Amino acid sequence: VRRAGFIAAAAAVVAACIWGGIRLWDTTVPSDLELNTGAAMRSFDPEAEDEAADFEALIRWLFIASQLVLVGVLAVYARVGTRFMRESAAGPIGTGFLLGMMGIALVWLVQLPFGFVEIWWARRHDAAEVNYLDFVIGDIAGLAGEALFLCLLLLIVMGLARLLRAAWWAPGVAILAGLFTLLVWVSPFLLPGLEDPPRPIVADARPLAVKQGTTDAEVKIEDVHEWTEQPNAYATGLGETEQIVLWNTLTDGFDRREVRSVISHEFGHLQHDHLAKSIGWFALFAFPAALVVTVLTRRRGGLGEPAAVPLALLVVVVLQLVASPLVSGSSRRYEAEADWAALEATRDPAAMEALHHRFTAEALSDPDPPGWYHWMFDSHPSGAERVAMAREWAARNR
Amino acid sequence: VDHLSVAPEKPAQLVSPRPALAPNDQVRALNYDDLHRRRVTVFFRFFMALPHLLWLSIWSGGVLLLAPVLWIATLVNRRPPEGLREVYAMFVRYATHVYAFLFLAAQPFPGFLGRPGTCTVDLEVPPTGDQGRWGVGFRFFLALPPLLLATALVGFGGGGGGTSTSTGDESANLALNLGVGFTAAFFAWWACMARGRMPQGIRDLLVYAIGYAAQAYAYLFLLTSRYPNSDPAVAPLAPLPPHPVRLRLTDELRRSRWTVAFRLILSLPHLVWVTLWTVLIVLLAIAAWLVTLIAARPPRWMHRFFARYVRYQAHVVAFAYLGGGPFPGFVGAPGSYPVDIEIGERERHNRWTVLGRALLGLPAAAISSGVGTAMVIAAIGGWFFALITGRMPQGLRNLIAYGARYGAQVVAYYLFVTPRYPYSGPADFHR
Repeated sequence: VRRAGFIAAAAAVVAACIWGGIRLWDTTVPSDLELNTGAAMRSFDPEAEDEAADFEALIRWLFIASQLVLVGVLAVYARVGTRFMRESAAGPIGTGFLLGMMGIALVWLVQLPFGFVEIWWARRHDAAEVNYLDFVIGDIAGLAGEALFLCLLLLIVMGLARLLRAAWWAPGVAILAGLFTLLVWVSPFLLPGLEDPPRPIVADARPLAVKQGTTDAEVKIEDVHEWTEQPNAYATGLGETEQIVLWNTLTDGFDRREVRSVISHEFGHLQHDHLAKSIGWFALFAFPAALVVTVLTRRRGGLGEPAAVPLALLVVVVLQLVASPLVSGSSRRYEAEADWAALEATRDPAAMEALHHRFTAEALSDPDPPGWYHWMFDSHPSGAERVAMAREWAARNR
Repeated sequence: VDHLSVAPEKPAQLVSPRPALAPNDQVRALNYDDLHRRRVTVFFRFFMALPHLLWLSIWSGGVLLLAPVLWIATLVNRRPPEGLREVYAMFVRYATHVYAFLFLAAQPFPGFLGRPGTCTVDLEVPPTGDQGRWGVGFRFFLALPPLLLATALVGFGGGGGGTSTSTGDESANLALNLGVGFTAAFFAWWACMARGRMPQGIRDLLVYAIGYAAQAYAYLFLLTSRYPNSDPAVAPLAPLPPHPVRLRLTDELRRSRWTVAFRLILSLPHLVWVTLWTVLIVLLAIAAWLVTLIAARPPRWMHRFFARYVRYQAHVVAFAYLGGGPFPGFVGAPGSYPVDIEIGERERHNRWTVLGRALLGLPAAAISSGVGTAMVIAAIGGWFFALITGRMPQGLRNLIAYGARYGAQVVAYYLFVTPRYPYSGPADFHR
């Protein structure tokens, strides 16, 4: 009966995941769009395209190599990491903290050379301003934040696992999803030093916000000149805390119409609740992942035992890699939806097209990355796809 | 001056006599002080020390000018020339006398030539011996870490001369230059004026600090090839008086290099937890103050809770500063850490001291803060050493353990865990 109950519960979870996945996968981008990326590619400056392709080729291989090293290090750590238990005078959860933090610290150490090479490469192509020392200091600060966050996760997971044994995952994932929601909600408050936008941006943003139903969202400017010249923007927050942030590398150097397209794209994310949907994806991923981790760490006494932590780290990272086509695929769909929303709101496909030409020329974004890599890891549609979409929108609205 | 420079009849040295020093042994601090102080000489202490400080500065200039000669001669002959060695020995001894006098660690006005036996806090310098040329060649760089620690311990540029260490950052420079010695001496002045007696704990802390600075300068000036030892166990200190908050040390000095490498990151969850705990403790301390003021002792549960906090923060300090090896637990359980704090039962408090506890604790808190600066330097030095060797130097570990114990006593005093005043003497390691 117990086995049947477990199978029924698992089947229910799988069915719920599939149903949720289908719902979340769906976007408002017309399904009959036919993107002529070949023609779009011809619109890019061949010299800029070559430079961007050259730049991103190394970045891609660095990423692949760093992922392989990451998995390798964690595999070794999963085998020998329990030796660090001797270095703990803490209880089981505290010892779990130690093992978890040592794991990510070792990962940080072996990833550091890749970071150095990436910075060197970006500086060589004038795509980054940051110096090596600032990079390391920033990286250590990031590691410190990760260490604390990991401790919080381990406190929840190990605490529940010690209390509920193998059944920890149901309340555990619910709590983690709640935590993730809270994090998305408070994230705008964690961004220091944001400035109000200049008047022309306010003037452009207001009618777009009205049109896209995002009038509650704030628009802010982030000064990033100190460490990069790359343009970027992002949407953050949830409900009342929603805001979009534009890097001043974008607002200072790009044409007003192009900036307007970006603003509208970011409003598009808010308009279609992409941040809320990312919480849904997190839960969808976390439920089966928690089940897999629970099953695989059983031989080490379950997640309530510190000895299971190094193995759990490995399993989570491997699962993340396995799921990356799905995760990056959904992300690309949401980016496309935000692009479509921006085209509908601005009705300015020329600006969108010009924007992506400049991204290739100035941010060295490869407009036509290798298909396998694009499918596995890219979170955004390629430049060619985005230009093709702008042209398709123009053709439909002629 | 001549009258004052004559050392009084010496009381017994504070550690049993030891065998004569062999060549290249550590310089040895001696302590014959009887704690008695004449208020009038205490009152004018800084004024009286002015000629010594002036003379010490002049002498410092001279020994710095001669230093290249000493260095080259020692590099060639493997030992300093006898005449120069004598000058440098007198200089380091004289600086020891001056700082002991200035900081109230010693009572008599010292002589101006650094002769042995002219001050109750004295220095024994080993006879000359052959030294390795590599050690002599790189002596200046090798001496930098102990000189930095000496500066943090003594202040005013350490006990061997009038120079100061510039870090480029004025506030850091000020904190370093004030040092434990200056802070302790400032509060000792008030105690001596009030009681005509030097508090034993502060005197011993000063003797330790000045003695360590003498070791550092003796090493720099090639009087010995022995690296300075920051272990309070080698200082001539009075036995540790009984105190309800005591250090219990079972650490074996071995360190895991990986946990040493990432020690700061690993300390983060503890630092966050101790901060959260501190917020609660501060709120409870107000309630504890009121209750203790009325009932003369805090409630039993509060005593237990505060004791756990005192123990836990000491564990965290020991771990973060590499005084302890393993990752500590989060609840301050007794006996759970190799650098542990034993805490006695609840005691009755004098209500007057409860009323003025915030003010009364200030001197100890300030001295503890100074010790904290020295602990940071010890931890940085220990970090490099432990990363390479997988072991923490005993001297640095003991300094950190002492700092953790003293800090725990200060916190315990503030939280009404004990009515006993924190004891600043680092005699925890004396048998």
